[in-house]
Amino acid sequence: MSVAMSETLTTNEYTDDLRYEVFNREFMPHIDSMYNFAFRLTMDEDDANDLVQDTYLKAFRFISSFEQGTNAKAWLFRILKNSFINDYRKKSKEPSKVDYQEVETTYNSEEASDTTYTVDLRADAVQELIGDEVANALNALPVDFRTVIILCDIEGFTYEEMAKILDIPIGTVRSRLHRARNLLKEKLKSYASTMGYDS
Amino acid sequence: MNASPTTPSVTEAAQDKVMKHTCDHHAQCMKVIQAILDDEATDAEKEHFRVNMDKCIPCIESYRLEKCIKDSLNQKIAKKPCPESILNTILSKINS
Repeated sequence: MSVAMSETLTTNEYTDDLRYEVFNREFMPHIDSMYNFAFRLTMDEDDANDLVQDTYLKAFRFISSFEQGTNAKAWLFRILKNSFINDYRKKSKEPSKVDYQEVETTYNSEEASDTTYTVDLRADAVQELIGDEVANALNALPVDFRTVIILCDIEGFTYEEMAKILDIPIGTVRSRLHRARNLLKEKLKSYASTMGYDS
Repeated sequence: MNASPTTPSVTEAAQDKVMKHTCDHHAQCMKVIQAILDDEATDAEKEHFRVNMDKCIPCIESYRLEKCIKDSLNQKIAKKPCPESILNTILSKINS
């Protein structure tokens, strides 16, 4: 599996000392974000532990393809996401495992359902929701939609960084995010209704 | 009225100018609102937003809702620290 960003395939000279130095300085500070990303992808603590560990070991092994001065966090997230797809998703316990192409066709037929799409949800109702309710609504989304929201709204990546992490064009980032947010609003709406916040 | 676009007051604004109660191009507006909130808007989108934002009730409501959801995701969802055992395993494996 290639873990390098496509445009940083050039191999850099790394001495042994430098490998450890770069690993500690550039990679280790992101371990909590990586752990949370892994947990939100797998929804399982043991899988998240394995995924983070595998990712960091791969990152160390392939450190010569990391170009210093580029975004280490995005580089690590990309490796983690690829490991998740290749190693974990197949054996995923997620009940509503959704075929990616199917999702894209259903929800992402670009303008199809965009024009009149609105969810009757008020900002005040969202404000009343507690963190666990917001997290549950997010977790209820198919993983590809969950992923773009995590990357954008929780981790603060730019569209360009997300495009590289996910290996998709920026236009797809934008439209998938749009669809993801509409789905999230539906989930939040049902929480708000259950809690009686939105009556 | 010069209220900040982050806290538009629908009632105040309505007294000062004719407000739009329906939006004919809401899908397009939602894309601009998303781009603004994600800090990915072009200069043209920013200008369009600045000029039109306080005139359209559906867009004001949408902006408030989208911002509230984005802030909730960012601030309310608990972030766990990576277990120390994982950290130690990683470090011992790369040092062996």
